[in-house]
Amino acid sequence: MLEISDLSVHYGHKRVVSDVNLRLAPGQTLGLAGESGSGKSTVAMSVLRLLPRSARVDGEILLDGDDVRTMSWGRLRAVRWASASIVFQGAMHSLNPVQRVGDQIAEPMRLHGTKGNVRDLLEQVELPQEKARSYPHELSGGQQQRVMIAMALACGPRLVIADEPTTALDVVVQAQVLKVLKRLVAEQDLGLLMISHDLSVLAETCDDLAVMHRGELVERGRTREVIANPQHPHTAALTAAFPVIGDPAHRWAQPETTEPRTTEEPLLAVHELTVDYGRTRAVDGVDLTVGRGEIVALVGQSGSGKTTLARTIMGLRKPSSGRVIFDGAEVPRNGKALKAFRRQVQLVLQDPASALNPRHKVLDAVAEGLRVHGIPDGIPDGEESLVTAAVERAELRPASLYLESLPHELSGGQQQRVVIAGALVLQPRLLVADEPVASLDASVRGEIVALLLRLRRELGLASLIITHDLGLAWQIADRVAVMHQGKIVEQGSVEQVLLNPSHDYTRALLRAAPNLGPDLGPQV
Amino acid sequence: MRLAGRLGGAALSLVMVAVLGFFLFRVVPGDPVVSMTRGRPTTAAMQAELRAQFGLDRPLLSQFWGYFTSLLQGDLGTSFTFRRPVADVILERLGPTLLLVGTSTLIAVGLGLWLGVRAAWRRDSAFDKATTGVALTLWAVPTFWLGMLLMMVTGDLFPSRGMRDTDTAPDFVSQALDVGHHLVLPSITLVAVVCAEYMLVMRSSLLEEMHAPYLTTARAKGLRDDLVRRRHAVPNAVLPAITLVFLRFGLVVAGAITTETVFSWPGLGLLFYDALTGPDYFLLQGLLVCTAGAVVVMNLLAELLYGVLDPRVKVV
Repeated sequence: MLEISDLSVHYGHKRVVSDVNLRLAPGQTLGLAGESGSGKSTVAMSVLRLLPRSARVDGEILLDGDDVRTMSWGRLRAVRWASASIVFQGAMHSLNPVQRVGDQIAEPMRLHGTKGNVRDLLEQVELPQEKARSYPHELSGGQQQRVMIAMALACGPRLVIADEPTTALDVVVQAQVLKVLKRLVAEQDLGLLMISHDLSVLAETCDDLAVMHRGELVERGRTREVIANPQHPHTAALTAAFPVIGDPAHRWAQPETTEPRTTEEPLLAVHELTVDYGRTRAVDGVDLTVGRGEIVALVGQSGSGKTTLARTIMGLRKPSSGRVIFDGAEVPRNGKALKAFRRQVQLVLQDPASALNPRHKVLDAVAEGLRVHGIPDGIPDGEESLVTAAVERAELRPASLYLESLPHELSGGQQQRVVIAGALVLQPRLLVADEPVASLDASVRGEIVALLLRLRRELGLASLIITHDLGLAWQIADRVAVMHQGKIVEQGSVEQVLLNPSHDYTRALLRAAPNLGPDLGPQV
Repeated sequence: MRLAGRLGGAALSLVMVAVLGFFLFRVVPGDPVVSMTRGRPTTAAMQAELRAQFGLDRPLLSQFWGYFTSLLQGDLGTSFTFRRPVADVILERLGPTLLLVGTSTLIAVGLGLWLGVRAAWRRDSAFDKATTGVALTLWAVPTFWLGMLLMMVTGDLFPSRGMRDTDTAPDFVSQALDVGHHLVLPSITLVAVVCAEYMLVMRSSLLEEMHAPYLTTARAKGLRDDLVRRRHAVPNAVLPAITLVFLRFGLVVAGAITTETVFSWPGLGLLFYDALTGPDYFLLQGLLVCTAGAVVVMNLLAELLYGVLDPRVKVV
């Protein structure tokens, strides 16, 4: 059905895909894995000739025996969506924001003269019919992605290409969307080419797996075998980067550092904290502690209130009631005391690319905190030496190589290190990290996790890590607190919560989490 | 709730305009009575009589209250120069201005948006470079100069003064043709000058949408290029232009001072010019209130329309 031979794509002199060969038969599911920049999305886009004009495509792309590369525009338009359709990543942006979703689903049907109706399609993706009259922004992320799937199936294509279909979604919603996609592919005997950086997602959905690295296809085989026994070092690195919950090898937080320190007064203690947004209660009577040098993971779905809780702890929001105690004293609500407190608690955000000002050099980005808070006395040429030390602490060595760089000259992992250096330069005692590795590639993710652990070991830096990723919690944390609808429903040591969960919601989260563990592979 | 808020905001703006309109012309140096009687021999008694006639001898707050209450009844006072109610003078000139500036603005908006879409869609093409270059040049050129240039180039082809000839037959068709004939040069001047603004706004707004992922979705569905543009790109890209267009519609009422003066078009722009040379304080005050009021109302309409065109904005 789809046969790609010797596909190469150049942008100018830059080769982004080289000599890729792929075959997909009807009813077959193939996962295409790789990190950002590996060329996997370029391969997907070339199937429907959707690459920009500046791309030069060589090789052969046969779709039902016809070469997409040489088709006339009219023939190409007829093939698009009718023979093969695409579920794009980031449904929020891939849907037209000012058109009702029902009209967007119906559009290709009218265009290609396909029979059928929007109502049935919405039913297939388990969406209520009245959602057809909604605009994209009125739907949740999961619902938007279901609309994309319904739209992709509108003209009854035999091949569906799914490009990172669940990347922006949290685990529970991701599991639901994958279930719908898997069911429909099986029911309608579709060919599925699924692209993701997340091996665990592909492992759940696809029978076969191909791995791309720097534009080349480095490995191809049955999903189960590739993951259990990777041949290429890059595949091995990808599989190793995804922590398996319950696997001691992936438990990087060393047990000796995680002894309970009940004797000491905790560094941060939250008592009965409640935060309201208007009439909505975002945080509801939360008790939480972070000990000195302790790493606590706060896990929950999007909308569970974990980010609001973190913002309140940092003094960025005023609580409706309850107290936040830091180092034995209540967190001041304003004035100089609040500023002094903020120096000790630093924030690391999810997406370093948007957290860094694109026009600020690394030196300025890291030094900003110093310029706001002032340089402690008695340090000879304070700013530069402190910045250099912080940048090297974040393992950008030698610092002089990076200080003059702009963010876009750095990789995602290096950018995140700059953000961390910006926090370290103030010598904080607590790091609040909101999804610190969620937007990073698998191989980089492990390095950042290791860095956070090393900082704790060397500096005694405590962290509160906010994440929906239970694997990260298993990898890094000493204790886990599970948040659901504004309440902490369960907290305790990592082993206790993740291996013997006592609350239903924790169990649901664990079930939804994609896993490369022993029971891997599609359970169709 | 929100609608009430917007209406309240607009009403507040209108009141501010009224207040500003009154006090602005009171702090301007110069005695209105002196300028009113310039060039004529007057006695102190005559001046006092004039002051009493226009209420200028009363305390400022009392004057303001009188002005404000009559404004609410649609009475804008009496013009010094025309010796007639300001509202009547303005209404009389409104027609010609709406005809000239309204027509030109509609043409300029249509043409500008269309050119902007075409230019952006084929960015850096010859069409894009040519239209952008010409539009910028015309935007930069002084209006009066362009108007005079047009008069010289076209020679006797089109009339260059006024709105109608005195010797035209009184029937409707001949009158309409005559007005249309007079309309050609001033409207070409106006369109040429203001078109660039709409074109450039539309162009840059569409350029920003050009790489939006939903356009890739539309292409992948098999839509023709022009359908991708018409159905998906333009409805999104036109949104930022809406506010600009409506603010401009509001300013239509202000007339086009330069163009109307150059072509002696008997509209509000020319009236503004005359009122300024007076200076005719009540007339200026009335013109300011009307113009600013129109802008406020149009802005309100723009916000309401925006809510219809962009479902993400909840106005009502």
